[in-house]
Amino acid sequence: MAEFTSAVFQNEFLPDGGTDVNAIVTIRCTGAGEAGRTGRGDAGEIVVVDISGSMGVTNMQAAKQAAMVALDNILDGTYFAVVAGNHKAYLAYPIVQTGAAMVRMDANTRAEAKRSISFFRAEGGTAMGTWLNLCRAVFDSIGNLGNKHVILLTDGENHNETPTQLDQAIRASIGKFQVDARGIGVDWKVAEIRKIAQALLGSVDIIGDPGRLSAEFASLMRNSMARGVANADLRVWIPQGAQVMFIRQVSPSVEDLTHRGVPVNQLTMSYPTGAWADEERDYHIAVRLAAKTVGQEQLAARVQLAVGAELLTQGLVKAKWSADTNLTAQINPEVAHYTGQAELAQVIQDGLAAKAAGDEATATTKLGRAVQLATETGNAEATAKLRKVVDISDARTGTVRLRKAVDKADEMALDTASTKTTRIRG
Amino acid sequence: MTAVDWPLLPTCPTCGATVSPSASFCEACGGALVPTEPPPEPSLPAEPFSGQTQRLGSRASQATVCVSCGGPVGADGYCQLCGTKAPSARDHYREAPAGWVAGVCDRGQTHPSNEDAMALWAQADQAVLVVCDGVSTSTDSDVAAQAGAEAARDLLVERLTGSEPSIPDALVAAAAAANAAVIANTAEDSTNAASATFAAAVVSGSQLHFANLGDSRVYFLGESEGRLLSVDDSLAQAFIEGGVPRDEAEAMPRAHAITKWLGRDATDIVPRVGRLEVDQAGWLVVCSDGLWNYASAPEQLAAQLAATGSQDPSVAAAKLVEWANSQGGRDNITVAVARLRKPEADSQQSHSLEPADAAASTTEQEHAAHG
Repeated sequence: MAEFTSAVFQNEFLPDGGTDVNAIVTIRCTGAGEAGRTGRGDAGEIVVVDISGSMGVTNMQAAKQAAMVALDNILDGTYFAVVAGNHKAYLAYPIVQTGAAMVRMDANTRAEAKRSISFFRAEGGTAMGTWLNLCRAVFDSIGNLGNKHVILLTDGENHNETPTQLDQAIRASIGKFQVDARGIGVDWKVAEIRKIAQALLGSVDIIGDPGRLSAEFASLMRNSMARGVANADLRVWIPQGAQVMFIRQVSPSVEDLTHRGVPVNQLTMSYPTGAWADEERDYHIAVRLAAKTVGQEQLAARVQLAVGAELLTQGLVKAKWSADTNLTAQINPEVAHYTGQAELAQVIQDGLAAKAAGDEATATTKLGRAVQLATETGNAEATAKLRKVVDISDARTGTVRLRKAVDKADEMALDTASTKTTRIRG
Repeated sequence: MTAVDWPLLPTCPTCGATVSPSASFCEACGGALVPTEPPPEPSLPAEPFSGQTQRLGSRASQATVCVSCGGPVGADGYCQLCGTKAPSARDHYREAPAGWVAGVCDRGQTHPSNEDAMALWAQADQAVLVVCDGVSTSTDSDVAAQAGAEAARDLLVERLTGSEPSIPDALVAAAAAANAAVIANTAEDSTNAASATFAAAVVSGSQLHFANLGDSRVYFLGESEGRLLSVDDSLAQAFIEGGVPRDEAEAMPRAHAITKWLGRDATDIVPRVGRLEVDQAGWLVVCSDGLWNYASAPEQLAAQLAATGSQDPSVAAAKLVEWANSQGGRDNITVAVARLRKPEADSQQSHSLEPADAAASTTEQEHAAHG
């Protein structure tokens, strides 16, 4: 049985009249076990491979190989299916007309599935909403699955659907399954794929070199198989009359959860966090309270992790009003660090968007600020990726110049990695 | 075999009772202890307050109803509606040993902890009321003040119920007992020894005896006349004796600096003792400065007491504390009251103040010039 623990990092002291409470709540999961093997329902995995014409010979070959490697990493006994997608979506394996659209993994089904994958040929367009809709139907054909996870590979823009069609498919899939999305080449749009991955609680990344695809799929699948806790929710209670300013996951990546809550009761909202392996995640909770008199103490939030109706851990975010400025003026280092990291993600995305729109002045300012923040918060990965897009003359002040010739893949890598954060603690 | 040296359970430094090595408080006297062993695995309560709280550990506060909004208090010690911290048993407690004697001890609004303490007792027409105000600038004063108040009360009760008690002597002895308890609750290596004030009143029929040290007070607010019986050992009092008007002296910057106290660094622990022959119905009030800061003169305090509109000591004490909190609650607030009836016709003449015994009154004159 998985164990959850929590820790709260905050400066609970507020000055006279102070109203805003910020805290970082770390939630750690240990003993998660393996997906589908904890007695809480079977796990289901779907591998979605883009077979649109633009994949060409090289990428198609790499994608086929990667899909097969992904199958190798699915634990025996796990339900699985393979979907091929272009402007339509096909159930490539299992080969069935009716009934259950997934089968349990074993040596035999693995070999059959690989054979089906070997027949993939690149042709047609791209309609990712249709792919998601098929995945949903495939999962639905097996009732009672615990973990439901999709690896989605694409190489192009969603040409054969309207944005509305994609949005509808995403909305219909929220809470049904999780999607880790990978883009191959440089012809896909980061914003489009990020939209899918964010809504469906997964990650997004660019695979610049087709040769790396197999290793990436293997690692994604292994990670998914390690998520023994199928579905957990972050619950946040706030006092009557208080207001949530924002709730974000800030580690391992920045995800704004503020508007994803579902009310549990009048004072408690529940935010989906998907499946958990043995890992730690940090959340930044910001709550606005009515000020109380100096000397008063109150609870600003109860931050809980729930699996189903069961609460497994609780962190208390407090507010104490004090007249001692030595206490109230301090900013908690964790809060400061993650506030900087969240801004970093935002200015990278804004800067790249401005650059794409031809607004070089804004792009320079935003990316300059990004360099400054990455340096201040010790995010070496972001600094390295920024260096490929801008020339840095002074990292401390954020003085940069946009580079003239930038590899598109480097720009996309900066974009997809923008939400990854570093931690302040080991 | 007469001597058993194992297992040897630790004893409480305050009262000597045998205590569990994992206990944080003595079950006999309530004094704080430093546990020497981790606590045993918590046993789940038979009737959990709710399914969710059971998993998350034991209750942090005994209060089940929020003092601020009336909502339910969660197992974590905070209101489940408004988030207000439920007061711990030390932050706010009430005693009512008899229908005519009651007290409330409260943290107030701005102090982070409650260093005030009280200990009450009543039986038939006798009562003991003790208030100690721990000095917040010293360490462990909250524990020490509570131990001191209880030690003084216990000694007074013992003497009062004994044969032919000399109450003035008992009051002097009670201050010494309180002093010993305060010192016993001071860490040996403390560089900032715990200290506390002392105010006590003993009612026995129509006789009212009182004693004080520091700036906690004893008032008698009769139907026709109110009196402040105790005399503060404070800088303000020294100024008053030097001719400065009371309201002006009490508003001075260091007015609250006390010139006498209980504790390891105290030099004079003999209280000022006095006696009052009660000839009219009225209220005995023993309180800390958390109350009288907002109503120092007897007539002011009498007015606030009348404003509570209650003859019930529990209600009156609670309302006075509530009122002091509404005035800012800048210090801990303790209010212990006793409702005294008009004595039967055969008792004494008019009420008269008199210094009780020679020893006490001598010291009274000696230390009056402090500050």
